[in-house]
Amino acid sequence: MRRWTTVAAFVALTSVMASCGGGGGGSASAAPPSVSGSIPAAPSEAASASAGGSAAASSAACNPPRQDGVKLTFASFGGVYQDAQRKAWLDPYSAATGVEFTNDENSSNATIKAQVEAGQVTWDVVDVGNDFGLDANKDLIEPLDYALIPRDEVLDGFAGDYRVADITYGVVLGYNTDKTAGKVPAGWADFFDLQKFPGKRGLWDYSEGGILEFALMADGVKPADLYKPSLDVARATKKLDTIKDNIVFWSSGAESQELIGSGEVAMTMIWNGRAWSAKNTDKKPVEIQWNQQIVTADYLVVPKGSPNKDAAMKFIAYTICAANNAKPSSYIPYGPTNKNAKPDPAKVADLSVSNADENSGYFDDTYLIDNFKDIDAAYQAWKTK
Amino acid sequence: MSTDAAGGRSRPSLRGLAGNRWSLLVLPAVVFLAVFFLAPLVTMSMRSVTDPQDAGLSNYTRFFADEAYLRVLINTFWIALVSTVTCLVVGYPFAYLMTVVSGRVAGLLLIAVLLPFWSSLLVRTFAWQVILRDTGIINRFLLDLGLISSPLTLIRTTLGVILGMSHILLPFMVLPLYAVMRRIDPEYGRAAANLGAPPMSAFLRVFVPLSLPGVVAGCLLVFVLALGFYITPALLGGLHDQMISQLIVQQIQQRLDWGFGTAMSVVLMVITLVILFIASRLVRLRDVFGSAVEE
Repeated sequence: MRRWTTVAAFVALTSVMASCGGGGGGSASAAPPSVSGSIPAAPSEAASASAGGSAAASSAACNPPRQDGVKLTFASFGGVYQDAQRKAWLDPYSAATGVEFTNDENSSNATIKAQVEAGQVTWDVVDVGNDFGLDANKDLIEPLDYALIPRDEVLDGFAGDYRVADITYGVVLGYNTDKTAGKVPAGWADFFDLQKFPGKRGLWDYSEGGILEFALMADGVKPADLYKPSLDVARATKKLDTIKDNIVFWSSGAESQELIGSGEVAMTMIWNGRAWSAKNTDKKPVEIQWNQQIVTADYLVVPKGSPNKDAAMKFIAYTICAANNAKPSSYIPYGPTNKNAKPDPAKVADLSVSNADENSGYFDDTYLIDNFKDIDAAYQAWKTK
Repeated sequence: MSTDAAGGRSRPSLRGLAGNRWSLLVLPAVVFLAVFFLAPLVTMSMRSVTDPQDAGLSNYTRFFADEAYLRVLINTFWIALVSTVTCLVVGYPFAYLMTVVSGRVAGLLLIAVLLPFWSSLLVRTFAWQVILRDTGIINRFLLDLGLISSPLTLIRTTLGVILGMSHILLPFMVLPLYAVMRRIDPEYGRAAANLGAPPMSAFLRVFVPLSLPGVVAGCLLVFVLALGFYITPALLGGLHDQMISQLIVQQIQQRLDWGFGTAMSVVLMVITLVILFIASRLVRLRDVFGSAVEE
């Protein structure tokens, strides 16, 4: 008995220390992934397709009523990303409506789950990655009020019953021009060609972040056929085996930016905003190959039981409305989701949606969430083999 | 050491404890642990069999049926073990040095051990990245000297993980060692020398055995803490240096599969408890920590 007392005391001691030491928390894991099923029309074609019926909804969404005294808590991924959202949406919204915002910078699916299960929902609007907000999570989030939010203006496949995409971005091939000696990799086939392009390759260590899709594209699978009838994980890992010794895994956006900027890897899979920062902020020789990018998104959701649900819906409608939706693009190269929204002309060339074409891929989020166990088990088996 | 602890001190009985009103002072700590540690632990552990509702043992069978997860589990214990041995090899001479130098120098050495403690784990891990990567300090230096023609692979290897983890964990080894070594009367060494022992054998046969409680305390602390690492192996390790905490974080944070995540945590916890229990059979933990803490 006494022995166990000592053991228990020891365990308590070490776990207290561990929690102090591990203060970084989940920060090693990545920030915004994202997704959607069907293939959105390219924004240029879509622009003309705006339905007359949505005009009323859209204008109401763009012109919210005064709501003095209302307080909303907005949770997102922090950093320059959340700064952009604040400047583009939160600050103007406060000025127009009197709504006061509290910002939380550590959006996490797990926190939403914990808040909802404990009945202590303090987040009203949350920016989440593409791996959340689907029917599989319907116990945790409120259905969106599409009487307010102009659903038919959103790119096809980027608005669901429980979530609507607020920004789009691309998972792209980034390359260091010093390391490729001026040559331009044409797509993922070149990424896997160590003869033509020697050097290491950066990949996100996450089974559903694009690594398998890119391997399949490199192996000749058309983007539209990635999930038809199912994601061929065996084929993808076989392709990955051909570069396994040259892979450098990253687990956060900052890390990918550093890897490609320093030239430790010649090419990497990277979120387009991070590649942009490597080039424009860090002044490194980094370029993006948009061919065969995966276009994906971050989504807004309302945790189930939010005490400010109605106000949250009004705010979401405001961010999605055509006049406002593209505003973050002035501060960060993330594009709109509203077909009628006009991004900052200075940034258009740097946006994922502007570079989308028939070679672009799209995650099938529903498929991925439903098959996660099998996909991830196969991925782990490959990785640790 | 253990003899006088075992024989000399009588253990207070529960009744004696109740009779002593000073023992009530321990109550807040017990309540704190029960409410903020034990209760959440039990609640979370329960989820491994109740999430999803009809889970039963399915989360556990899923874990043990998969070779990949088992490889990660074994790897976790292996990395923890190697880190522990590394800390001991580095920490033992260091702690010994602290006991033989003057008080002022010992103070400086103590600060040297504690200093990294005051910066965040993340910062220290990133610092190792800067040192170890292909374009990092070591490789740049060797390349410039012409000693190597292509960068050495230092980062994203098991070596990188061991370096990073040992650096972070070293204070947990040095402090208990130092606490025990400081109490060893230098007269013992002189007595051994007087009786004809050469310095090395006096050290090995007198000093080392007397310091063993510190060794055990340090090793247990470092080993158990090492089992829970995930940021360092993620940033400094390669494909094969995955530790189980990384999988747990992913299940809890991203996949929201709390049943499976807690099942993995429970597996890790149970194995750790078993190891502690076995260790407590071999050495008396109480004496170990008693001697480390008493000073």
